[in-house]
Amino acid sequence: MSITKKAILLTSLAFFSSHAHASNWLMLQGTEPANTSVRAKVWGFVQPEYQSMSGTELPAGGFSGQPMSPNLVKPDNKSKSAFNIRRARVGVRGTGFPLDSDVNYFFLAEFGNNGITAPADVGVLVSDASITFNQLPGARLRVGQFKTPGSEEGLQAIHVFNYVNFTSVTDQILLERFTDGDGTDTQSANAPNGSVSAFRDIGLQVFDTFKVDDWEHSYAVMFGNGNGIGRSDNDDNKETYIYWSSELVYGGKGGRRDGLKLFAWNQSGKRTLTEAGAGEYDRDRNGLGMTFRKGKYRAAAEYITADGMIFNGSDGGAVPSSRNNADTATASINVLTDDKADGYYVDFGYKVLPNLELDFRYDVLNRATETVNGERQFDTLTLGAQYFFNKKSRMTFNYEFRNQEAPGFADTATPNLIADALDDRLSLQWLVIF
Amino acid sequence: MKSLALLLSLLLSLVPLSSVASDSKPFAEKKVVLQISDPNPFKQTLVLNVANNLVKHYGPDKVDIEIVAFGPGLRLLLKGNTNQSRMDGLSENGVKFAACQNTIAAFSKQLGHTPELVSQATPVSAGVVRILELTEQGFSLVKP
Repeated sequence: MSITKKAILLTSLAFFSSHAHASNWLMLQGTEPANTSVRAKVWGFVQPEYQSMSGTELPAGGFSGQPMSPNLVKPDNKSKSAFNIRRARVGVRGTGFPLDSDVNYFFLAEFGNNGITAPADVGVLVSDASITFNQLPGARLRVGQFKTPGSEEGLQAIHVFNYVNFTSVTDQILLERFTDGDGTDTQSANAPNGSVSAFRDIGLQVFDTFKVDDWEHSYAVMFGNGNGIGRSDNDDNKETYIYWSSELVYGGKGGRRDGLKLFAWNQSGKRTLTEAGAGEYDRDRNGLGMTFRKGKYRAAAEYITADGMIFNGSDGGAVPSSRNNADTATASINVLTDDKADGYYVDFGYKVLPNLELDFRYDVLNRATETVNGERQFDTLTLGAQYFFNKKSRMTFNYEFRNQEAPGFADTATPNLIADALDDRLSLQWLVIF
Repeated sequence: MKSLALLLSLLLSLVPLSSVASDSKPFAEKKVVLQISDPNPFKQTLVLNVANNLVKHYGPDKVDIEIVAFGPGLRLLLKGNTNQSRMDGLSENGVKFAACQNTIAAFSKQLGHTPELVSQATPVSAGVVRILELTEQGFSLVKP
């Protein structure tokens, strides 16, 4: 079925349901409540953090003895433990002309030090700039730069994210790094040519939410550049995103509403490389998942598949741009243009006290499953605790037991020696929303 | 004959002076007019909270409440307002909603069309005049 047909079908289905104004991620991030919004609401949040790893160096391979990239604090890749301002965002949202709730806007800028600002080498970058038109019942229209309809980890508002770091599958497969080549040029670092995707794109989206008894059904169809944020497209291919969710709403509102949500999504497009491995390559991502929250309990799970443009780490696990010990090659960021990956996560939270939640997450990534001896398996167990000072400020503690394996090799082979050197990670993050 | 006239005048004295607001609440012991004229959406929530608290405290039959919206506060009564379900609930408990026609005219000029109102809204010639009328009828003015 073509994307256009899918879009028409989803839109048609939507019109059979009664219209609702309830909230969810599609609605919360850019849509204002009718006749109760302000002209300009200034808001934002700050997330300072501390992360620490052992800093184990590479035990084998061409970069042996050098720092191992996954054992250094991102995005700077310079220290094994560091304080950082992970996010510092300030935004304005509202209804430019308050008498007409049909037109809303959402603007947010990033001042923190992370994958948005560091690769782009800027101090501040606009992460969201969108306008939402609500005139057409069942088919709201959003244009501009905004979060793409997709994986729960990416689509949810980051300030209600229950952990400090993303799961491996989200971090490596969904949080896209844009490079000009595939990393096969041994003399190039193949450094990112801009910000990570930040789960955002520039384009237009048709969407809406419908309430049927206690259920809330949402759909979104988006067309975008598929080239990240803060710039236009680098080719003529456009990205398509399709999303559906159905949620049994138990009560509450906002980002921590009680409910049972089922969702599915698809993202598909092409990427154009201009340097090593130049050419056009398909990139598809799919996901299926659920979230649950009721009283003291919270759970989430998602299964994700990826086909094409698979992030494949750096050469030998070294810090990108570093030279190998023989000084014959530069460590680069690698992309497997025609490979596949899949992964999943399960996540549980339990509030032992009204202001203290204990969290448990297990996630798996099978990367490069189609390449002989190329596959890498990541599994991470994260134990966490969130202490809520109040509704708008909290502290999150995480300890990640990180494991990596190269299943195509013996335990004593270099890939597995490097994999075994992956450190656990301790994180402490503070959050204030204003 | 004299005693009949006396009885009639006694009965008439029990009927309140002309008051549309009071007619539907014959047993109301308290009468409150709530003013909303502020653009801040939080004030919408607040005025509905106050109305709800009054109903809860006195009981629906014992308190007569009218919310008068004018100026930027009229947005409370525009169709599609996210507080619609709360207004439905209050309306079922006899709370009335008055919409200033002067403001409707001003909104119409800015919007280019007449705004639709929630079904509970009753247009009045001027919000401030309505408040004065109600206070003359014994209503207490509260502006949350």
